[in-house]
Parts: sequence; C-alpha cells; structure tokens
Amino acid sequence: MFGSYKVKIEGGLLDKVKQCADVGGYGSVHEFVVHVLEKEIKRVLPPDEGGSTSRELVKKRLQGLGYIE
Amino acid sequence: MDPQLLKQFMHEGKMPNFSRLASQGSFRLLTTSIPPQSPVAWSNLITGMNAGGHGIFDFIHRDPKTLEPYFSTSRVEGPKHAIHLGNWVIPLGRGTAEQLRKGQAFWEILDQHGVSNSVFRIPANFPPVPAKGETLSGMGTPDLRGTYGTFSFYTDEPAAEAGAVEGGQIIPVQVENSQVKANLIGPDNTFRKGSPAANEPFLVTIDPLESVARIAVQRQEFVVQEGEWSNWIRVEFQLFPFFSNVKGICRFYLKQAHPRFQLYVSPINIDPADPALPISTPSSYSRLLSEEAGEFYTQGIAEDTKALSAGVLDDNQYLAQARTVLAEHRRIFDAEFPKFRQGVFFFYFSSLDLNSHMFWRLMDPKHPGYDAALAVQNSSAIAEFYQQIDQVLGEVLPKLDDHTTLLVLSDHGFAPYYRSFNLNTWLLNNGYIKLKNDASLDSSEPWANVDWSQTRAYGLGLNGLYINMRGRERDGIVQPGAATNALIKEIEEKLLSVKDPQAGLPVITRVDVAGEVYQGPYSHSGPDILVGYNRGYRAGWKTILGAFPPEVLEDNMNPWSGDHCMDYTLVPGVLLSNRKITAETPALTDIAPTILAEFGIAKAKDMIGQSVFQSNRTVHQSLR
Repeated sequence: MFGSYKVKIEGGLLDKVKQCADVGGYGSVHEFVVHVLEKEIKRVLPPDEGGSTSRELVKKRLQGLGYIE
Repeated sequence: MDPQLLKQFMHEGKMPNFSRLASQGSFRLLTTSIPPQSPVAWSNLITGMNAGGHGIFDFIHRDPKTLEPYFSTSRVEGPKHAIHLGNWVIPLGRGTAEQLRKGQAFWEILDQHGVSNSVFRIPANFPPVPAKGETLSGMGTPDLRGTYGTFSFYTDEPAAEAGAVEGGQIIPVQVENSQVKANLIGPDNTFRKGSPAANEPFLVTIDPLESVARIAVQRQEFVVQEGEWSNWIRVEFQLFPFFSNVKGICRFYLKQAHPRFQLYVSPINIDPADPALPISTPSSYSRLLSEEAGEFYTQGIAEDTKALSAGVLDDNQYLAQARTVLAEHRRIFDAEFPKFRQGVFFFYFSSLDLNSHMFWRLMDPKHPGYDAALAVQNSSAIAEFYQQIDQVLGEVLPKLDDHTTLLVLSDHGFAPYYRSFNLNTWLLNNGYIKLKNDASLDSSEPWANVDWSQTRAYGLGLNGLYINMRGRERDGIVQPGAATNALIKEIEEKLLSVKDPQAGLPVITRVDVAGEVYQGPYSHSGPDILVGYNRGYRAGWKTILGAFPPEVLEDNMNPWSGDHCMDYTLVPGVLLSNRKITAETPALTDIAPTILAEFGIAKAKDMIGQSVFQSNRTVHQSLR
C-alpha cells in the first residue's frame, strides 16, 4: 500500500537523463531522478514544518485579498 | 466610492441619479477610519466604535509572542483532535470559523428592539454574527481552500513553471490525443495524514480544428469556446469515502485552445446551496437566495485581481469577470430590494473598490504602470462601474417614500498608488531593526536574520508600526512607558521628514499614535504607530509581512495601481442622503448611531459617534 511507483522513461529523454546523471556525479539514474523530484517538490509545495510554514500558509491565504505579493 | 471621482463623473453628466440625490438631499465627505483599510473602516461603521473598541486595526494582525501574522477579522480552524488509522486521520468534532471583531453590530441592536433588517455582503462579518434577519457575509469570507481566493491555471506552455503564484497556482498539463486530464484542487483533506489537498479529476477534450473544448467534471459536461466563461459548475470533494464531502462551485475560462492550451479555473467558492462554512443567517438563507437569484460568488473578494496581477488574465478578461461579479450583485439586489417594506435594508457593492485598485493606472498618465495602448481600450473602466452604481441608485430613488431615509456611503476614497515605501527596509537602514552578526540580508524572507535582542521597532500590515516592547513581544527590549513614548516620538519625526528624491514630495504626511486616537479596551492591542502615507504612496508589497526589499522606495508596477491605505485625512469616503445631513464632518462611527436614531433607539454607550441628522452635534473624533 505504501510501496514504490514506477515511471517509464525511454528514448531521447532517457539518454539525456543518463547524461545529466553522469555529468552531475550521481551514482545512478535512480539517484538523479529522485534528487530532481525532491528539489522540485521542495520548490512547488510549502515546507512541511518549521516556523516558516505558518507564515507561508498565511501568506498564501492572504494573497487573495490583493494587498500582498 | 471616491468623492473626487464622484464629483468629476457627476460634473461630466455620468451620474444623473447621484447628482439628483446630492442636489435634493445632502452630499458630504465621510471621515474614514484610522487606518483607512476596509476591515477597520467597516468595523467602525458596524459597531460605532473605532479600532480601540472593536479591535480590528489592519487586514493583518500579529501574535506578539511569535510575530506570526494572521487575518484580523476571522479565524478558521480545523478540528483540534483526531484519531490516526493508517493513512487516514479521523477528526473528532468539526472545524470552526470564529468572528474576531468585538462589539455589537448595529443590526444586533435592531434585532433586540424588534426592528426587521437585512444586511447583504457587509465586509468584516464572516462568519456572520447571529441575527434574526437575513444576512450574507462579504469581504473576509474565504474560498473552499480557506484562502481569500486561489485560482488555478492549467497550461501546456513549456515555459510554465509549476507552483504557487500570487493568489493562484500554475498547473502544467499535457495535451495527448486532444485531451487533457487534470485535477481540480479542493480543500486540505484533514482526514488524510499530512492533510494533502483533496482533488477531483476533470477531462478536457479539445476540438482539433475549432477553438472549443468539452469539459467533463464528475457527472457534468459542458462546452466552452475560446474566450468564453462557463456557468457555475458544482464540484463535490470527497474527503472520506461514503462519510464526508464538501461542495464548492467554480467557473472555467478557456483562455486558449490552440496552439497552446490555457484554462483558468476560478477559486473554488463555498457552494451557497450547501455551504461548508457559515455564510448567511439563517443558515438556509444562502440556499434560498441561490435558488431565487442563481449561483453567485460567495468568496469575500470575488473580483480576481490576483489573476490580473499575475498576468493569467489580461485587462479585458479580468473586466469580463469583474462585470459578472457586479451583474450577480445586481441580480441579488433586484431579487431582494423589492421585498423591503420596513426596517433596515443594507447592500454592499464591491465593484468600485476592486476596480479602482486595478484600473487607476489606465486613467492616470502619471502612473508608472500607465500604458497608452491599453488606456485606449479601458481608461474608462472605473467610470463604467460608477455609472452602473448610478443605475442601481436610479432603481432605488423612485421607491422611496417620505418616511424612508436613504444613506449612500463608502468606507473610504481612493488615490493613486505610484510608489511603494518599504517601511522595514527604512527601519533597518535607520538602525531600528538590527540583523544578526555577519548575517546577509535576505530580501525576500520575512524577518530573515533579524536580531530581535537589538531590534526596537518593526512594521507589519499596511499601516502598522510596532515597538518591540519588553513584556509584550517575545524578545521585546524597549521598556514600556517613557522609553517607548520617546522612541515613538523619535520615529514619528523621522518618518514625517522622509522625502521621495524622485518627486521631491513627503512620503508620509501623518503619523498617528494608537494611545492618542483610539478609545476602548483594545486601544493598545494593535500597532503603536499608524503610518499615514501621502497620496501616491503605500507600504510596499513585501514589507507588509516583514521582508526587506533592497530599496526603500520603488515604483509600483503592479496592475493594483490605486489604493487608500494612506493618511486617512486624504482619502475620505462619501455620504449622501435624501435628508439634510446636519453634521459638517460626519464619520463612519456616526453611521450605526444614525441608523439606531432613525428608529428612536439610543446608541450603545461605547459608540463614539452620533446621528448625522442631529443638530446638537459635538466633535467626537480624536483628532490631533
């Protein structure tokens, strides 16, 4: 139920992913993909915990008022 | 409604009904609140008290112990206790919505005296206070996600970056075989571990040749053409299978079908037919209203100003949405006003406020965001909304009899917002805020690297400046009493001497000290200093929550180009009546006593105003 999720990467994209993993010094394609996903998740989603969570959530809620960027 | 604009439009013959009312009755400037922000202003009107009495000082308040900001007028919280079962979290009890404004609303007093009343969309009344009459909450009412409006924008633009933008979310999608599969984002699902947002899938089928798409959501299917808005679509978010769900409504706008797919979805509004949070009294009233007048935006600020600011909607697309909002309000008004026979009928229109914020830049060539090409199309957008409000007045005037008093009013006026003043950057540059040793300035993160053990003052909210006071703030260092007063005086003098080197104008024309202008038990709960900006200036976008943009002053290039969070004497509202107003300088705090006096009801003892029709008025405002 809490297991893994397989994503198929093939063709030109797979070649480029392998290339990036090599250039970046990653141990494997898997390691590179997981790292990229973690980085992207951190950018897109609000942080899980810590003092800034509340401020981020408040900011998100308040932005709809129009007065905050 | 701004008095200068109203006079201009009346002079130009655009407001015949307002001209008639002004000439046959009265037209006065209406002194607004300190500071002139809508939650404060409407709380003044509702309670007849100022912020010291009702406790609302700004859109944003802070907890002095944590410095965490929160929305001033209401608090929505989920259930406090829950049982965890695997990935599921079973909440014990229900969440709550709490009204934070103190004091009695004028219609509560009317209720106590048996005077019937209906109050529609008055700001700062979410959740609506218990009432015998029909009330519908207005500004401050959240969307289904608990925010004050979060739109979604689905696109297959390769350059589109996924994630949150101001007041919205960009969601990259792929078009495969002319179809797009995506999710509507609903409220956080507190039934699931980590409270992820609840999602509901929808499918878009794009016509390969025509600029049209068919959208399927749950059991509904509808077609939208490029440049067309859908009707309201009902969506049900399942939080716990067979046990709990919440209903919302949203509208789709197909911005582009080809070559790139661009679909805007409005914030998911609380469904008035089955509201997830209290939005009306009686609670069934919003359902009855939606049956009679059709579905409508229930979120407090319905005009999607953020979609325009973020560039997701352009001027014309935003205007179409803003016109729909006004059309809905007029539909509700037209359904309800004819039922008014006696008592009090109050109705709030938001259009002049929101659209003056967004379109000032197109009628003012001095604005840094002025664009001559865009102005050709929409320089008269604000005037158009004023004229629509004049039409509403035109419906009302013939219905008045000799025993009915009409009050037409606004909570504040308007002014251009040319330049931003970054108060916290100014406090930092002037030594009132100190950073930790060797810390670099992170301009975007609120309070980044601030050394609170050496910081004496900080800004939070649109006009608020707080002393970092010992015994009140978590790391307060300034002693209350003489030391605080001396610091306030010092900051006041320095603020009043700030000049904009670009325009040579004073940036701040007025500084009010809370202890001198507020009356009531909450006088010292808010900011210590209220910063009154000159016309053309406002607190910068990022300083409001405590960030430090590098420049103290910068041009405001945001489409949000008009504002009123300034020196309150520079942005009065309007008050018109079919009766002679005897007060020379009426104020918002006079309105509740005026309404009560019309029914022979004495004002409450903590109300600081008095009827604008009384001849023996005294000056009641604490003006320095």
